[in-house]
Amino acid sequence: MTRGPSSVLIGLLLLAVAMAVAVSLGSAGAGWGEGGALAMLRAPRAAAAAAAGLALGVGGALQQGVFRNPLADPGLTGVFGGALLGAALLLGFAPEYAWDRAWHLPAAGFAGALAASLALTVLGSGGGAARLLLTGLGINAFAAAGTLLVASLRPGARETIANGAYGDWLGTSSPETVWLPALICLVAAAFAVRLAPGLDRISLGDEVARTLGCDPAALRRNAALLTALAAGAATCLVGQVAFVGLIAPHVARALTGPGHRRLIPLSGFIGATLLVAADTAGRSLPLAGTLPAAAVMAAVGAPAFIWIARSRDD
Amino acid sequence: MTESVVRTLALGVTLRGRRVLDGVSFEARPGETLAVIGANGAGKTTLLRALCGLVAPSVGAVVAEAPGGVGYCPQHPRCAWDFTVREICRLSQHPSAAEGWCESLGGGSLLERRILTVSGGERRVVHLALALAAPAEPFGSLVLLDEPTAGLDAVRRGRVGDAVRRLASAGATVVTATHDLALAESSDRVLALSEGRMNALGPPDAVLSDDVVRETWGAGPSRLRR
Repeated sequence: MTRGPSSVLIGLLLLAVAMAVAVSLGSAGAGWGEGGALAMLRAPRAAAAAAAGLALGVGGALQQGVFRNPLADPGLTGVFGGALLGAALLLGFAPEYAWDRAWHLPAAGFAGALAASLALTVLGSGGGAARLLLTGLGINAFAAAGTLLVASLRPGARETIANGAYGDWLGTSSPETVWLPALICLVAAAFAVRLAPGLDRISLGDEVARTLGCDPAALRRNAALLTALAAGAATCLVGQVAFVGLIAPHVARALTGPGHRRLIPLSGFIGATLLVAADTAGRSLPLAGTLPAAAVMAAVGAPAFIWIARSRDD
Repeated sequence: MTESVVRTLALGVTLRGRRVLDGVSFEARPGETLAVIGANGAGKTTLLRALCGLVAPSVGAVVAEAPGGVGYCPQHPRCAWDFTVREICRLSQHPSAAEGWCESLGGGSLLERRILTVSGGERRVVHLALALAAPAEPFGSLVLLDEPTAGLDAVRRGRVGDAVRRLASAGATVVTATHDLALAESSDRVLALSEGRMNALGPPDAVLSDDVVRETWGAGPSRLRR
């Protein structure tokens, strides 16, 4: 185990390797194509997967930190579900505004994610792991039902929304649609690192954290805001993906220890690596058509979730 | 004459429809140690939580002016992640003081251990060290320790008593909630709670008299001290 800053560099290196593989592999086979044409086609998609994965990993680390719970994942607790519902509402009822400005769709995702994130913070905290996860499950189901309702009411947007629900929006990545959400993911991640000292302190309980100079309520509010910002932007890039936010902090904690100053960036890099790898695998596996990154993540993540749940005492 | 660091005025606290504290009035001055005793459910923990603002008064008031800072060790210390004890000490605003208190309380050998691998008593030692190190300046500080000796061996119980006296002699106000009669006897004053009401307040030998002990716990002193 390495607890030094080197572990964060290892995460960055892993991501670089995953990105290099991602632009070199695809359904058209290996290689960059003539004059790098294939690589240029794959680059926005790889960048989108990396930015979204970064946001998912950071969001997971934030949520596990504020809820003091290694099973928290914005993908499972309804925050991404809320983001997708927000995006679906815009796509369904005001499609003309969805793409005319780069920030409209991320803003809709942010609004939905924020509502879910605040609901989770108000309703799900203070009662242990079971209350948190069950509340999140309820919010997730509610958001999914809302998304389905929008899709069935607005047939014109049905396919787009369904692709988002499958986590299959990466296929539509282009530089114009990627740059702003990716930038938001990076900014949210950078601000998240500033919450590290507070997240370390509330691991000792709110009462003790308060005597150590941390304001738990402000910390939860800021974490909910940043998680929502990251979720809204990541959802615009990839759609709904679970388990990245669960696994990335878990791997990062094993590599660098529980201190959030290194855990948050490392979790982001691992999340980015995971999603880029999942997307590359989904595009390159010899299957009929492309497997969405979300499906690959679920195949890996669901067993991991059960394993983590079983390794807990409470 | 120095001002009180913490004072309650006819303090009453209602939690989930139940009156947990009722008409509690006292004050504590710099350098004073106060032990709060009482049977399970008498309101000791709620009183400590009210003193540091974690529980709001339903009636009456709590006036706390602790310019030196506030330290609080909860009844059930916990840590969500597997930090080492030294990493936890570094979460304090006064890390070297926290490590120093950890050593004074007999936890020096724990510093490189992971918190989730230490025993319950050892975890309490770590949290006590954080609470004792929380004030920036002992004089005018308020340190609240909820059952500080529960689960500790005899040697460490003695060290907790020493630490409380050391901090108080530097001017801190230390309030403990305890079932440990030895700790109560070594305090400057004892506050006995019974079903949320003040049963007695005064020097240990007065409050720990047979009559008050019987009223506080509903059992004879011989049964308690055995």
